[in-house]
Amino acid sequence: MKHRRSVEQHANEDAVSTAAPLVELVMRDQAPLLARRFFGDGPPSPITASLAQVPELLEVALPFIGAALGPGALDARAKELAILRTSALLECRYCVQTHTAVALDCGLSAEEVRVLRGELELDAAFTAERERTMLAWIDAVAAGRGTVDPGLQSRAAEALADHELVELTLTVTATLMLNRYCTALDLPVSAATLARLTEEGF
Amino acid sequence: MSAAADAIASGALNGRVWFYSNYHCNLQCSYCLTESGPRVLRRELPGEVILDRAAEAEALGFTAFGVTGGEPFIRDDMPALVAELGRRRPTVVLSNATLLNERRLRELEPVADLPVHVQISLDHPDPVANDEMRGPENFRKVMEAIPKLVERGIGVRIATTLEDPDAVDPEQRERLCELHRSMGIPDEDHVVRPIVNRGRAATNDLGLLAGFEQLEPELTVTVDGAFYSPFGPTVRGGRLDSDLLVSRATAPLQRPVDALLRIADQLPDGHDASIGIR
Ligand code: SF4
Repeated sequence: MKHRRSVEQHANEDAVSTAAPLVELVMRDQAPLLARRFFGDGPPSPITASLAQVPELLEVALPFIGAALGPGALDARAKELAILRTSALLECRYCVQTHTAVALDCGLSAEEVRVLRGELELDAAFTAERERTMLAWIDAVAAGRGTVDPGLQSRAAEALADHELVELTLTVTATLMLNRYCTALDLPVSAATLARLTEEGF
Repeated sequence: MSAAADAIASGALNGRVWFYSNYHCNLQCSYCLTESGPRVLRRELPGEVILDRAAEAEALGFTAFGVTGGEPFIRDDMPALVAELGRRRPTVVLSNATLLNERRLRELEPVADLPVHVQISLDHPDPVANDEMRGPENFRKVMEAIPKLVERGIGVRIATTLEDPDAVDPEQRERLCELHRSMGIPDEDHVVRPIVNRGRAATNDLGLLAGFEQLEPELTVTVDGAFYSPFGPTVRGGRLDSDLLVSRATAPLQRPVDALLRIADQLPDGHDASIGIR
């Protein structure tokens, strides 16, 4: 059963853009008992705030998302290549905007970010063979259908260790899940992120 | 023994499972936790769901059932449901007693032989003061219903809900007690409890602020999920509170029970649950 509540009533208005999400974003005062530990001091991310509608899913989904998308065997830069590129291919406004800011924070240049967002050609920013292979792999997993081209499979297996290929593939597939989640529910990007992007010329 | 049975035996978990049968009500009391009234969403918990969860609760070692709402007896299937619950475990059903007409009373007769109590709200010995909070004619209707239940051998308890039970005038309290005693209801079947500052009580700035630290863990099953306490699934501004939500899934019952036990484990030392609904 659904009980709609406007964002204005429960969200910190400074924290979210004005687009109303499809579902109520649960703020800290209404966070279910098992969800409370995922709420920090500031306003929760819209992913946390929406998942809090179903605390038993939040409890498993957030740690999974954190592990899959955060740095692991692959460093933060490699992870952001996968997340931002996949999100751009899936046209997820929320993830593209949010991860444009994260990618810049991870040290990617504005030019690299524009390439990942599909606004510039690959050659404009990425020349290292390993990263070009990773990007080809990301594109094939995120936008392809059926099996990945055997030529690309061999190239990827050569450029990356098995565990790196597994982690890169899971990062892309977890991002696909989040892209569709955030887009379908129309999750709002935080006002702070939007201001930052404007400042950076995005 | 299940983990739930262990927790119940040690006092870490209340042995009663509550069912929110529905949210609508013929009354609109000023302190109502669920903002109930005739025109609100009914949000009924289907009878077969109540009985299925009750059977699971029994197998897990829960010792008692409770039914609340809204007004449970607004539902035609309630007398039979209460009887079925009472056949399994001692059961209390919270009611305003104003819908107990001859037909409902006849339907309720089978519970006379069962460990079932109808807990009826009565706040004041004076009709005018009582009806101020609960609506016109409430006092008269309750006074009519109680003897009819008692003469049929159906267990009755009285619940008095007050802004500040400690500040109540002793003379007023004594008059109320004389009243229930005169109807054959002993003192041990009279509970006095504070208004809790949730739902319509919060809107009207009434009652005691209660966080989960002040409440006992009592598994509460609703159509919207399982809650920490019967004070959990309250409604404010037409919106269900989620701060005491345990899980959306209620089946199998083991799932919310496990989650509730994890929450109960996190209660701070010296936790003193001082507020009960019954
Ligand atoms: S307090 Fe009870 S009787 Fe009064 S409106 Fe709420 S559900 Fe109905």
